[in-house]
Amino acid sequence: MELFFHYLRMPYLLQGVEFTLEVTGFGLGGGLILGLALASMQLSHNRLLSAFARGYTVIFRGTPLILQLVFVYDALPHIGIKLIPTIAAGVALALNEAPFIAEILRSGVLGVDRGQIAAGQALGMTPVVLMHRIIAPQAIRTMVPALGNEAISALKNSSLASVISVQELTLRSTQLASSTFDFFSIFFASGLVYLVLTGAFSAVQLIIEVLLDLDRPSPRDRLMRLLPWRQPALSRPAPVFITGQDAAPAAPMGSRAARSAGLADGVATVEVRDLFKRYGNHVVLDGLNFTVRIGEVVALLGPSGSGKSTLLRCINRLETWESGAVRVGGRNLGFSDDGKPLTARAVAHERASVGVGMVFQQFNLFSHLTAQENVAGPLRWVHGMSEAMADRRARELLERVGLSARAHALPRHLSGGQQQRVAIARALAPNPTVLLLDEPTSALDPELVNEVLEVIRRLAVEDGLTMIISTHQLRFAAEVADRVLFLSGGRVIEEGLAHDVLTRPRHPQTARFLRVMGADQVTAIPA
Amino acid sequence: MLINVKNSGHPARPRMKISGWLSATFGIFCLAASVVPHAASAQGAPKLPEACTQLQAKYPSLKGKTLIDAVNPHTPGYEALDPNDPSKYIGFDIDLAETLGACLGFKLTYQPVAFAALLPTLQSGQANIVISDIYATQERAKAADFIKYSKVYDGVLVVKDNPKKITGIDTSMCGATAAENTGYVEVPLIQNLESACKAAGKPIPVIQLYDNNANCIQAILAGRADTYVNDVNTVDQAVKAYPDKLGKAVAVTLPYSVGIAVPKGDVAFRTAILEALTALQKEGIETAMLNKWSLGAGSMEPAALLTE
Repeated sequence: MELFFHYLRMPYLLQGVEFTLEVTGFGLGGGLILGLALASMQLSHNRLLSAFARGYTVIFRGTPLILQLVFVYDALPHIGIKLIPTIAAGVALALNEAPFIAEILRSGVLGVDRGQIAAGQALGMTPVVLMHRIIAPQAIRTMVPALGNEAISALKNSSLASVISVQELTLRSTQLASSTFDFFSIFFASGLVYLVLTGAFSAVQLIIEVLLDLDRPSPRDRLMRLLPWRQPALSRPAPVFITGQDAAPAAPMGSRAARSAGLADGVATVEVRDLFKRYGNHVVLDGLNFTVRIGEVVALLGPSGSGKSTLLRCINRLETWESGAVRVGGRNLGFSDDGKPLTARAVAHERASVGVGMVFQQFNLFSHLTAQENVAGPLRWVHGMSEAMADRRARELLERVGLSARAHALPRHLSGGQQQRVAIARALAPNPTVLLLDEPTSALDPELVNEVLEVIRRLAVEDGLTMIISTHQLRFAAEVADRVLFLSGGRVIEEGLAHDVLTRPRHPQTARFLRVMGADQVTAIPA
Repeated sequence: MLINVKNSGHPARPRMKISGWLSATFGIFCLAASVVPHAASAQGAPKLPEACTQLQAKYPSLKGKTLIDAVNPHTPGYEALDPNDPSKYIGFDIDLAETLGACLGFKLTYQPVAFAALLPTLQSGQANIVISDIYATQERAKAADFIKYSKVYDGVLVVKDNPKKITGIDTSMCGATAAENTGYVEVPLIQNLESACKAAGKPIPVIQLYDNNANCIQAILAGRADTYVNDVNTVDQAVKAYPDKLGKAVAVTLPYSVGIAVPKGDVAFRTAILEALTALQKEGIETAMLNKWSLGAGSMEPAALLTE
């Protein structure tokens, strides 16, 4: 025991820790940089880069670190690269860590909900902004435990540097044991030192996890919790829910007809011509044609798989297509004037400047941001608005959708209906010229459907916003839409004034669909 | 790495060391330590022969240089950490290296590597010289040039009282388990017993490979191995550390010499070392070092070149 404490305090061994940490630090830092490069290469769409990264990963993940150490130390000098042992060990460890770290980074990035990425793209975010504001902050949170693991494993792996004469803790322990024959006291002492080091790494990991925890109460809140008399009242004012009953009644049919007549002369905002798209052999859009004019509300109806969502995604170029054209605000979205496809970055700028807002079936709120940040963030990052202005705009919009009280709540603390209302506020924030809504109520519990429909209804009636809505809510379509397009098999099989199509369908498929869905409506819309 | 380097110690052979120390490479350590007589003697040491002055004039390029000496510092007596000041290496080989350096005007730093990595380290240029109780064999001479400086005597380390009755590298080892270090010359010698054991109708010996003396000794203490054949001095040190558990069965003479390894084909450098070593031997300095480390003055061998 006495010997154990003697070795535990021995400066010679403790100084070995410096080398251990140096090699580990070099290995982790270099591994992170290389790993970032490898992950970017693999995630890129460049086949050459991704094949290179794959090849690197196969080699360096598939061979023992000890061979890599010897290679860097003893083989590189033959081509004129002679590194001192500590650096050679750091380089070998970095080369070895890189593929593991790259896979952690890659899984973090791939783990971010694709819907949020689509939402970011629809808001006009460039790939860089998307990575910086949406993907990275979420990916980093999920990667911390795995990176903590990797750091600890790198620390332990640094002991292999003893084979290339790095004076780290393990090498010093074995040498000391050889000269003193006190094997066990020495190895227990160095084992304890390793435990202390890995324990410190674990502690850092836990601290980072706590700091990144979105649900962590602020220091002020924690203080408040200790001062019961300062606690805020638990009952907050209930958010204002707008119910169907309170809504303005649908415009009488007479004025609807007049409105429709007026719109018919308006300027075309969205024009879709001969749009053809397929996934493999399956044709999704089969030569689709239609026009939406300024101020018009168009409902897309049709059975599942009829191409409604794909069509909406084509309109703001979240999807590519085989042939045909989509013009929004007079621009060929996604193509330059001479018809060449634009880069992802240029498409993003175009989306932002043309102004196509999109609301998704699954809401796709950025889950790491509060309701207010979901609205205000894109205004700052895409439209360069000042923080104060963006926040003011966000508060106005949240108030309009009845969610002022939940402005600072995270999406996961909101109901589905509330989330969809935030998503609508987010889509409206940059004042889009056209708003695309992809089955905005399908993912909601029946009792939450109406609060969302009411918000949309007001946008149509009060703001005169141009909207294309794919929906199964026939009553809502009848109340809000000027025109209805009925899609089936990727084609428009019936088109006309909403009231006409919904009450007197001409195509038998439309009639059958309306019969089935109509029965549904009775239960889907609360009385 | 393919080369099998080996070292082996043998008994009374001169290898002494002076204070080694390694950290110089990194310059970081300033450890504690205490008085290390060896260290002191190493540095202060022997009066150099007259010849050294002429040699320095003859080989001016070595003067003032700092050379890297690759060592496998797990062999107390030849090269190991100074238990009193782990910032230093001590032993016969270290003393010899320092004295050669003093004679030719260069300084040394020590690079600790696995035994099997000694010659690869020299070949890759990560070290300039290897003085680490390595046997100069024809095979190894393919990787480096050697300047021989002592004879080889091995000892056979066994469990106390030699329950397996091992009498050397012969058929008494059939069926026994021998611990050896990767790259040691004893490995092929033991492997070669295979036909003799088979002829005698006995099982062949099993070899466990480790990477330093300490692990080989532990293998016997833990009951994993029956014997460990290495230079006599190493074996004696182990018996001294564990008198109740270990014993020396016998000493064996191997047909090898211990040598200083230098980069292949560097004629000027190897000649300088050869001439300096010869000068030290003439003055009785090597013999004095052998005595200082209790390695047996009789094992001294006149300096000679081995090249392939």
